[in-house]
Amino acid sequence: MSDARIEAYSRALFEVAQAEGNLAVVEDELFRMARAVESSEQLRGILTDATIPAERRQQVVEQLMGGKASNTSVQLVSLIVGSGRGRDLPAIVDRLVQRASSEQQREVAEVRSAVALSDDQTKRLAEALSKSTGRKLNLKVVVDPSVLGGLVATVGDEVIDDTVRTRLEQIKTRI
Amino acid sequence: MNLLVTALFAVEDPTQTHHWLLPETAEIIYGGLASVIVFLGLYKFAGPMVKKSMKDRTEKIQKELDGAAAARSKSETDAAGIRQALGDIEAERRKILAEADAQATAILADGRARLVKEVAELEAKAVADLVAARGRSGEELRGEIARLSSAATSSAVAASLNERAQQELIESFIKSVGAAK
Repeated sequence: MSDARIEAYSRALFEVAQAEGNLAVVEDELFRMARAVESSEQLRGILTDATIPAERRQQVVEQLMGGKASNTSVQLVSLIVGSGRGRDLPAIVDRLVQRASSEQQREVAEVRSAVALSDDQTKRLAEALSKSTGRKLNLKVVVDPSVLGGLVATVGDEVIDDTVRTRLEQIKTRI
Repeated sequence: MNLLVTALFAVEDPTQTHHWLLPETAEIIYGGLASVIVFLGLYKFAGPMVKKSMKDRTEKIQKELDGAAAARSKSETDAAGIRQALGDIEAERRKILAEADAQATAILADGRARLVKEVAELEAKAVADLVAARGRSGEELRGEIARLSSAATSSAVAASLNERAQQELIESFIKSVGAAK
């Protein structure tokens, strides 16, 4: 998809979420969904397969997100998938998150963890990262079992990696 | 008339000569003259032809003699050439045999030297291969040990990553990031 079209979709999502008054929640839910689409080849295949009817793809989205995400988020993802832009969902959502962060003069910080963080941990981590980088951050936590343990935080070009996966890789290299 | 004829025949009998050997004088005279004329004619007209014929014949014989002499000379030259060639052939045979001997000796020496060199090269290659194989085996062994160690480490770490360990890692990360500035 062209950059202008991604920009247009992200702007539309942003406007809808803002109008619904739950931008922070929608942004967070869409971010998780985008990462799920990114990491699961099977899910990506279903949501982007043009031979599967749009209704069926939207049904999959509703089954997947229903009960776990807000109605706005489900409808927005369903809209994107139904219009045949499922492949661009991660890019559209990333742009939405950037837009939302910019509105709050914040920078996006993506944190990957093998297990989910508690609210307290998320809050403390956001504070610690803000203190460390000297920037206001919009923290997005992604549960990624491939990191095995520990966390990896990406803030702009800066990466703070303290995952078990990376340590094992280092040990392998040393061996 | 008859009487006159009879009288003439009665005077000279043509069937009778004066002498049994010698002819009549007149006959000698015109016979001799005729002979002289015939002789002169022959001398005048046939003489040069006979002379030329004789000369040609002489020349032809001389030419044949010269040809025979030349042929003989050529035969002698050929014979000498053949005799010399025979001598040359013998010398050539000896020369060829000598050269063949020399070449055979050189080839033998060359082949022997090449074989010695090849054997030395093969020995060197075998030694190098042996060393390389030994090194390769060592490297493969080290690689295998590294792979197994790595797999074992991964398994051990994954097994030890229980909920408590995960939380400790998260807390450790938060603490270290917070203390970084």
